Amino acid sequence: MTTQPHILVIDDEAQILRALRTILTAKQFKVSVAGRGEEGLALAAAQPPDLIILDLSLPDMDGVEVCARLREWTQVPIIILSVRESERDKVIALDKGADDYLTKPFGIDELLARIRVALRHSAQTLGTQKSQIISAGNVVIDLASHVVTREGQEVKLTATEFNLLAYLAANAGRVLTNQSILSHVWDPAEADRVEYLRVYIRQLRKKLEDDPDHPCIIRNEPGIGYRFILDE
Amino acid sequence: MMRLNPLRRIKAFPGSEYLLAILLTAVFTLIFLPFRTEGGQDHTVLSLLYLLPVVISSLLWGLGPGALVAVLSFLALNYFFLPPFYTLLVHRTQDLIVLTVFLIVSITIGQLVGRVSKSLSETSARERDAIHLYELIIHLAGLRDEHEIVSALAEQTLIAFHAGRVDVLVESQGSSPANHVRLEDRADQGTATGETPSYITPLQFARGFLGEIKIWRAETALSPAEERLLHTFASQGVLALERVRLSQAASKARVLEESDRFKSSLLSSVSHELRTPLSTIKAAVTSLRSGTVEWDTEARVDLLSAVEEETDHLNLLVGNLLNMSRIEAGALKPERSWNLLADIVSSALERSRQQIESHKIEVDVSPDLPLAPVDYFQIEQVFINLLSNSAKYSPDNSTIGIHASTAGGNQLKVTVQNQSPPVPEEHIERIFDKFYRVTAADRVTGSGLGLSICKGIIEAHGGRIWAQNLDKGFAFNFTLPLEWEGHKPDIGQEGIDE
Repeated sequence: MTTQPHILVIDDEAQILRALRTILTAKQFKVSVAGRGEEGLALAAAQPPDLIILDLSLPDMDGVEVCARLREWTQVPIIILSVRESERDKVIALDKGADDYLTKPFGIDELLARIRVALRHSAQTLGTQKSQIISAGNVVIDLASHVVTREGQEVKLTATEFNLLAYLAANAGRVLTNQSILSHVWDPAEADRVEYLRVYIRQLRKKLEDDPDHPCIIRNEPGIGYRFILDE
Repeated sequence: MMRLNPLRRIKAFPGSEYLLAILLTAVFTLIFLPFRTEGGQDHTVLSLLYLLPVVISSLLWGLGPGALVAVLSFLALNYFFLPPFYTLLVHRTQDLIVLTVFLIVSITIGQLVGRVSKSLSETSARERDAIHLYELIIHLAGLRDEHEIVSALAEQTLIAFHAGRVDVLVESQGSSPANHVRLEDRADQGTATGETPSYITPLQFARGFLGEIKIWRAETALSPAEERLLHTFASQGVLALERVRLSQAASKARVLEESDRFKSSLLSSVSHELRTPLSTIKAAVTSLRSGTVEWDTEARVDLLSAVEEETDHLNLLVGNLLNMSRIEAGALKPERSWNLLADIVSSALERSRQQIESHKIEVDVSPDLPLAPVDYFQIEQVFINLLSNSAKYSPDNSTIGIHASTAGGNQLKVTVQNQSPPVPEEHIERIFDKFYRVTAADRVTGSGLGLSICKGIIEAHGGRIWAQNLDKGFAFNFTLPLEWEGHKPDIGQEGIDE
């Protein structure tokens, strides 16, 4: 990418805006900022950004609604910022199409890592060449031929286990909420049966992770869901 | 009871007792007539027998009818049984004496019997009133709810006054809501229960009108004794209502006072707690910004990591404050879902990384433990607080252990143990109290809230938390139920085969 990626930050706290503008500009991003939801939507329409960082508590409208209105016309990656006390809003925003989230207060390294992943993911989505072979750690997943290998050895997975792994891997880098995984891999009617998900994730980790107690491929997103970690 | 007494019904016609008295005398006279001897020598016996109707009527109908029967018997004795018959003339002196004595004796006995029976019925009426009042007081005693008091008052009034219907109305006042209870005697459908009640008495208390009692009943008039009883009922009801309102006001005042005390200890504890990390941050940042000193790389890293640690500390503190205020407001409701304890422990360790970096951590929490129906973030907070407490009170480089196992099939038992010095037994129960510290406040940082938040969260989950001294160290234990609304997850814990 020769041009600087353009990031739009929507947050009502002037201090956060100032800090993010300074830091992101220093990291070679082009940054525009908005303090209100409507202003953010207008800016996003006037100068479509490559990525949006969105605070959930805005003075004029709900961040979740901003997210929903953006998703009506753009697939631009959205990273949600929120405090730890609003888990429910976070889950709703992710289900409404946000790609990732960060809990305030956050470290800037973490934010930059999330921005990199989101930009790469959107580049992959834009390019029609969607990869059919996904590798993470020692594990290689061939989505087309339904074959999973670990250190070159084929791993036997049940149909549900494979579907679950395939859904996670196809959305690598993104946070997937428990509900969205359950309704894609099982059935929308089963979206609340978190217990299924917990048990199958544990099975997958036992088969794929080097240390199932400290998973590196299928990571927990506390209280939200899971994230599949690709090789950098 | 009174309702079933036929004599009371008869009283509905005024003067009827006198009519009955006359009738009684006539009947007795008719019975005695056949036994009359020609010479009339039996009149001494008859004069004794004539005392019978006198006693009966005095007993049944009171003094007046008794006296009437006495006079009538005197006349009948004279007219029918003393020669010459069918005149009121008396020839013999001894007959005159008999008659006179009869009149005096019969009137005297009549009066005595009448008075005794009157005082007897008065006594039993008073006893009845006393019993009703006693019943009312027994029913009102110990009631803590205004509606219950109003119901008890209505019920007892219905019984005591043989009413067809009783309405008790209490008007709303301040925070006390209005109450209205209507009771009807089901066995007594015939009683007039029209629009207008037979009797209304106000419920009046020191500061004014509180409400009223309305009574509907067939016998419209209340006797003076009943009126007195009704007023006593009303004042007992008012007393009970006032007692409840006063105790409510008192407990509200106590809660306010406690929450006031809580807030002021919170403020003093928190302002100290907030300033400590803020001073570190301020000092580090101003030093870095100051142009007078050239910081070498190592010093810069040190200062910056101090800033980062202190911001995390502040963040934790704010989270605990929020949780504490939720616990205080009774708003801490776990948002349960089926979670793996191992996941929660690993994210708690991740979030506590900096606080525990000078300790060795041993984790024995198997991912094969059953799923627990818990609020992820609240239980994570419990681990963070217990780890932070353990790290604070145990020496550097000592070990902090986390162990979890199933207990009795329906519970998880979790232990967080450290190598801190033992806590005196007298403190061990109280370490979960708010602002309770074993060591003096200025020697160890902390808001004094962490453990009480753990207790609030574990108890909201239906578990139990306690602390104990070990041979070498100290342990926090808590339990978590494995059932949610009586169920376990409907998916097995072991391998899944399809």
